[in-house]
Amino acid sequence: MLYNVHFGIYVDVAMPVEDKSKSLLPFLSSPKLLPNESEAEFQSGLQSLLSELDNPSPLAVALVSQLNECLWWIRRHTVDKELLLHESMARLLSREGSNWMGSGNSALSVALEHYLNGSAQKDQAALVEEALIDANLTLSDLRAKGFKDAARHIKMVDDLIHRQHQTIRHLQWSIDSIDYKSRLIRRMDLELAALESKQSVKGALTLDDKSS
Amino acid sequence: MTTNPRRNLTNRYNALKSTGPRSVAGKRASSQNSRKHGLNSAPDFESSSEYRALVELIAGEEFSAFACADIAAGLLDCRRVMDAYYDTYTSPEPIDEFLRDANMRASNPIFSELLSPSGSEPQDLREMAAFFASMQRQERRKGGPVSRRSANTHKLIRYQRNGIARLSRAVRQG
Repeated sequence: MLYNVHFGIYVDVAMPVEDKSKSLLPFLSSPKLLPNESEAEFQSGLQSLLSELDNPSPLAVALVSQLNECLWWIRRHTVDKELLLHESMARLLSREGSNWMGSGNSALSVALEHYLNGSAQKDQAALVEEALIDANLTLSDLRAKGFKDAARHIKMVDDLIHRQHQTIRHLQWSIDSIDYKSRLIRRMDLELAALESKQSVKGALTLDDKSS
Repeated sequence: MTTNPRRNLTNRYNALKSTGPRSVAGKRASSQNSRKHGLNSAPDFESSSEYRALVELIAGEEFSAFACADIAAGLLDCRRVMDAYYDTYTSPEPIDEFLRDANMRASNPIFSELLSPSGSEPQDLREMAAFFASMQRQERRKGGPVSRRSANTHKLIRYQRNGIARLSRAVRQG
């Protein structure tokens, strides 16, 4: 029987566990990436996490996919922290200087972004340096002021990262619980099989005694 | 958005006098204006094909039928929250550049011109200028696109916390 699980992915409920895991993979991982992100990198992260599991069940695969997504979000939010700082620095620079009005803001913020990345062209570098002189600030002063200005939003991003860590912890507990449960069941099966074989040996011995 | 400050301020001034939509379709559309992510509405997972497929898949893992249903609903709920999280993150509130960059002091003559036909008092002019200035402060406080998307995504933390707690509980108790 085939089910349309999500995004047109079909899962055959009668297939073996490994195949189910593979079919389920695109369902809950569903890589919704930003335009500048690499899907191959996302999938390789997922595969490396899955390779650490010994014969993963479909549920374990689903949980690991979510874990991988959380790690991906942590990466995004970490980049955002730096972007917030740059945004705040650009705002301060345009406010401190004489070009708060007009289209100076966006041009200055683009120039500052390139300047901080080390990829600024000559005119962009000149614009930023001129704005710094105009505002009577050094780059480190501006960074410190920018951090103070953006503290509220940086705290929000820290909260988002913390939430992802908490989610990862919950997912790890769940994966451990599935793993422990399956091991416990396997051990009980083995013990039961051992008891049964012992019982059958005993039965055979008593039959031998009676016959002799 | 028009770039002429006079036209822009006139449009905003006229919009303030609006009494809202009158037609049924307009009222229906505006009733959804405050809808943000839809995570407060109760989802109906049980009737979806995804839910049934997940329940059957999880059933092969020595979980009770009740636990399977709970885990499948938990998984779908987490997926729903993370989809809303992504949508909120990728579509931040647009920046009103005119309001952010406008020089309110220089706009006072425009305000007085707009108010003059109604025979208004100087008090009205001050109130109007103060109103636009407070809107501008709000707009500037929201910051740039990264600040906006961080603030909006931050509002979804509680939904994520509840979703993952539900899923984790279902798996561990199952």
